[in-house]
Amino acid sequence: MLWYKAWLETRSRFLTSLATLTIFSSIFVHHALYIACLNTFPCPEEVRHSGWRSEFHFLLFVNQQYVVLMWILAVVLLGMGGLLREKALGTSSLTLTLPVSRARLMRVRVAMGIFQAIVLGVVPWLAVLIISFRAGMPISVAQVGFYILLLVGGGLIYFAMAVLVSSLVSGEYTAPALTFGAVLLGAMLFDNWLRRFNVWRLVTGDFSIDRNTFLLSKQVPWPGLLGSLCVAALMLLASVIAVQRKEF
Amino acid sequence: MTNLLLLCIFTVIQFDMFFKLDATAGQPLYLQLMQQIRHATETGALKDGDQLPGIRTLAEKLVVSPNTIAKAYSELEHEGLLELRHGSGAFVCVKRRIRSMADSVHAARRRIRDLIERLRDDGLIDEEIRRAFEAELLFPVEIASKR
Amino acid sequence: MTSEPAILTHGLTKSYGHDDAVRGLDLSIGRNRITAFLGRNGAGKSTTIKMLLGLIRPTSGSGTVLGKQITDAEQNRRMRQRVAYVAEDKSLYGYMTVEQTINFARSFYSDWHVDAEKKLLLDSELPANRKVKSLSKGMRTKLALLLAFARRPELLILDEPSEGLDPVGIEDLLRTLVSCSADGVSVFFSSHQIAEVERVADHICILDKGCLLMDASVDQLRQSYRRIDMVFPSPPPEREFQISGVKRIRTAGNQVRIFSSGNAEAVVERARNLRVVSVEVAPVGLRDVFLETVREN
Repeated sequence: MLWYKAWLETRSRFLTSLATLTIFSSIFVHHALYIACLNTFPCPEEVRHSGWRSEFHFLLFVNQQYVVLMWILAVVLLGMGGLLREKALGTSSLTLTLPVSRARLMRVRVAMGIFQAIVLGVVPWLAVLIISFRAGMPISVAQVGFYILLLVGGGLIYFAMAVLVSSLVSGEYTAPALTFGAVLLGAMLFDNWLRRFNVWRLVTGDFSIDRNTFLLSKQVPWPGLLGSLCVAALMLLASVIAVQRKEF
Repeated sequence: MTNLLLLCIFTVIQFDMFFKLDATAGQPLYLQLMQQIRHATETGALKDGDQLPGIRTLAEKLVVSPNTIAKAYSELEHEGLLELRHGSGAFVCVKRRIRSMADSVHAARRRIRDLIERLRDDGLIDEEIRRAFEAELLFPVEIASKR
Repeated sequence: MTSEPAILTHGLTKSYGHDDAVRGLDLSIGRNRITAFLGRNGAGKSTTIKMLLGLIRPTSGSGTVLGKQITDAEQNRRMRQRVAYVAEDKSLYGYMTVEQTINFARSFYSDWHVDAEKKLLLDSELPANRKVKSLSKGMRTKLALLLAFARRPELLILDEPSEGLDPVGIEDLLRTLVSCSADGVSVFFSSHQIAEVERVADHICILDKGCLLMDASVDQLRQSYRRIDMVFPSPPPEREFQISGVKRIRTAGNQVRIFSSGNAEAVVERARNLRVVSVEVAPVGLRDVFLETVREN
């Protein structure tokens, strides 16, 4: 029942984030579409006639900027907790004396987090898709898929960062603060010297966007995504090792 | 029919006994229990064929280790006072020679009663008498005979 | 069952910088009996238990529990399937209800006894749907103990189990311990409650400053430890009583009090040779055995 425990521990964070992300995206796109459709739904013919123009695609791009911000916030918070936090709370002697290995405990926690991160990426965009259909201005599913792929594929590194920090530091506020600090610092430093490797720009679609049409260009940046996932995997491995070595 | 029913009830009823084990008395608990069981057979509180509580039951009742009960029962089985039937429990088998021990215990108590009366006449209070008995009892018999 | 000890350690040591929490511990805890682990606060009892369960790594030395190496993570994990442990802090998840906690624990162990669980739950009067964080300390202790007592493992390790329990709770605890022991569970528990230990323990180990000072059967202690109070016509020299077994000699004028771990007869004989006026030999309770042993150290 480790999954059940992991669920109970992250349930409120996850559901709050899911609600926030979904409601925000929905309201944002709904309102923007409403205005673009001259304040009537379904969208009138003269607007629909020209199809999805760059203005509409810009809408999605802006939505992604906000979604990325909130999603990173959410997955960092979801990555908090773990055995070090349990030690501070005084529950580690129960968890660690269960007949399960520390690696398995980590695996379940991480798997739950990754699953939740994916849901947090998919559901808000799904809501946007549904709203656009109901408004009579359906979005390209491929574009939505592209955004989700960028977000989750590139962004899991932030989750891994959070897991790593929480495997080294146990403070209730210290761990998230350090992680957010690292995220921001990383974004700034990479932007100055290694812009090509700035994950933030990768997940927001900055590298893939065509500035004329505001469509995400056809090429999915596989090297970037895979590179980010590899670094994420390494961080998670380091977290497992850190936890295995720790004395409780 | 009622006789059969009574017989069934009678064999099922286990003996409920009062034992008191003193953890600070300077004597292993299993020895205390053995003495109390022996005493019960001598005074007739336990009769031939009576069933003693099971090890677990008695251990839980007295809140002592089951090893204590097991050891006491085992030693008493060696002495021939108990018969341990596998699965059924411990049964008392009082033999003739133990019966006569009951008589000597009665005689001893009479002598002790007289002695205590005399000590009281000498001016000793009961507490002093009790402590003197305890002090002497903690010596092995050999030292006393050496003098 | 095998005759190997339930717990066996060789030179188990744990140092934190210059401090030695546990020093060269050679522990041998037998099966099918109740062993109590006594020691002052900070003596190293909890540290030892944590090493046995893989929470802490020993600095040096080795140990086995139920034949499995404690320092091998996988062996230790498999051993934990056959061992029930309740920590000193009685850890529980605050966000789970009593029922959820029990279901959670049950899912990990094949030696769980549902009837034992039901009976314990009924006796403890724990509210099934109340969250652990809103339970009183006594209730939390009962729940933590229930998670161990609802099982019939090979070994039960308890760290200060009676802490937080009222006298009725302590009585129930001891009765349950005895019941488990009757079912063949080996019991190893650390405690400060010497009166309780004295009643149920078959064997005790005394730990002080990380070292094992005593490893003896309680019956043996009862039979051999004695306090001998003597009054002489004139103060006798102490060296007269430096006999083997004598642990402590205290004199006050014509009175001499000797604390011996055996061989009381020799002391009495020596006293008689020195024309003792009065001799009184009394048994020594476990509390005094403990205090004397630790004081000596």
